[in-house]
Amino acid sequence: MTGTLEQIKQAVISGKHKEIETLVQTAVDEKVDLSSIINTALIDGMDVVGQQFASGEIFVPEMLIAALTMQKGLAVIKPLLKGKDSKSKGTVLIGTVKGDLHDIGKNLVSMMLEGAGFQVVDLGVNLGVEQLVDKVTEIKPDILGLSTLLTTTMPEMQKVISVMRQRGLRSSVKIMVGGAPVDAHFAEKIGADGYAKDAAGAVQLARKLVSGN
Amino acid sequence: MKSTPYNLIMSALYNGKKGSRPPAASVTSIVCHDLMDASGVSFPEAHVNSEAMAELALAGHEIIGFDTVMPEYSVHQEAAALGCDVDWGSRDQMPDSRNAPYADFSDVIIPENILEKPSMRVVLDAISKLRRHVGGRVAIIGKVMGPWTLSYHMAGTQNLLLQVGLGEKDKVVKMLRQLMPVTIAFAKAQFQAGADIVVLADHATGNLVGSYHYKDYLLAIHQEITSQIEGPLILHVCGNCLDRIELFADAGFDGYNFEWQVDSKVAVAKVGHRICLVGNVNNAQTLLQGTPDDVRKQVRYAVEAGVNIIAPECAIPLTTPIENLKALVAAVHEGY
Repeated sequence: MTGTLEQIKQAVISGKHKEIETLVQTAVDEKVDLSSIINTALIDGMDVVGQQFASGEIFVPEMLIAALTMQKGLAVIKPLLKGKDSKSKGTVLIGTVKGDLHDIGKNLVSMMLEGAGFQVVDLGVNLGVEQLVDKVTEIKPDILGLSTLLTTTMPEMQKVISVMRQRGLRSSVKIMVGGAPVDAHFAEKIGADGYAKDAAGAVQLARKLVSGN
Repeated sequence: MKSTPYNLIMSALYNGKKGSRPPAASVTSIVCHDLMDASGVSFPEAHVNSEAMAELALAGHEIIGFDTVMPEYSVHQEAAALGCDVDWGSRDQMPDSRNAPYADFSDVIIPENILEKPSMRVVLDAISKLRRHVGGRVAIIGKVMGPWTLSYHMAGTQNLLLQVGLGEKDKVVKMLRQLMPVTIAFAKAQFQAGADIVVLADHATGNLVGSYHYKDYLLAIHQEITSQIEGPLILHVCGNCLDRIELFADAGFDGYNFEWQVDSKVAVAKVGHRICLVGNVNNAQTLLQGTPDDVRKQVRYAVEAGVNIIAPECAIPLTTPIENLKALVAAVHEGY
């Protein structure tokens, strides 16, 4: 890895959001391959952040700053990718189910997925079953991501999946679920395709679901 | 000699003294659809009408058998009084705020008559009604939000955590200190209205923030709060807080309501001699999805580990079967 790429990666890991744009611009000026800046520096940096979060070394405040840093870095590169081969890894429709206005976990997953090359359509919070199912029909995503923080709203996830089955939509989209009260057992029980315990895990799961492995 | 529910709870709270059996408490909401149906009182009325609020709290004792009555089910009573636009929800949906009025971290304006705001008055009136009805016989539990939770409501949760991440400590601590008097005033008013214990919920939640954040931002404030409120306080913080459980004891709380993710034996070994442990029956997997026998096993594990008061780990899902709550109570009646 070039020195600048390593510096970009470290800037993401330590959340140096004020320095990231200059560093990425330096790499661009040095004619470093754009996909290397994204994959080797920004995404790899975020993967390290995800691991640190999973192991309890850092928490949401630090994770938010790292994601903000990555987004600022990506913003420098995005205009340069226009017209070039920058194929999306897949489309993810994501939102928090009805009755729940919590969105930090969902936002972090969105940011990480975007950084990892997915096209993300974030529908927001407090989403009714009909609203979600209608959007799946309209957008035809590869993955539907459902989030909840509250134990009080967990049953809403099951309702979404039931209605999708009734409408014959279930097989057309992979469904992943997450949030504090949710676990793999619950995901299996309600008929989801997968569960991830944190944002880094959600990226890995999404990669797996679109690859079909 | 037969103990009353009140005596069981209070003796368990004070230095974990054992009565004839472990007590079962509702320190967070134990309201589910089955309980609403059985009592004839439903959300959202029970958030905004003191009679309905008290009736539903009483149902937790009379129908399920908890040794406590706790009439506050939402975490938005203070938020509404401080200017949040609160949606009081429905039978199927807990209340939530539609806005964060101090997202810019400007000075929080505390209304002079804040205790008379409808969302605060309703809780105080419900506690007084319960006092008249079951006072001295069943433990009456009040609930207030701590300044960290109130800051989530005032500034927005993600916004607050972002400022913490950015190292804007002065800005965050200023807001916490401006909100601290609301917590203290509401707790004192609840004791005056007739509460025996007040739960202080402050969501410096494990997995969301670290123990170092708690130490940097909140410990000193919690110490001030506990020193200014004379009645017994049970702290409620969600998530796996094993890394900061000793700090909760340092903060001066009399009890701590903890989650299933923290093994009760480990919790007892760490702080059981310093703080009354309240918990820690799992909500999502056990109370919501498990069988009465699953619930019994968890209760017995917690009792044998030395947990002083048995309770759900957090506000229960609305679709929790009432049989599982009754199983929790039945399991404490097996004794020690």
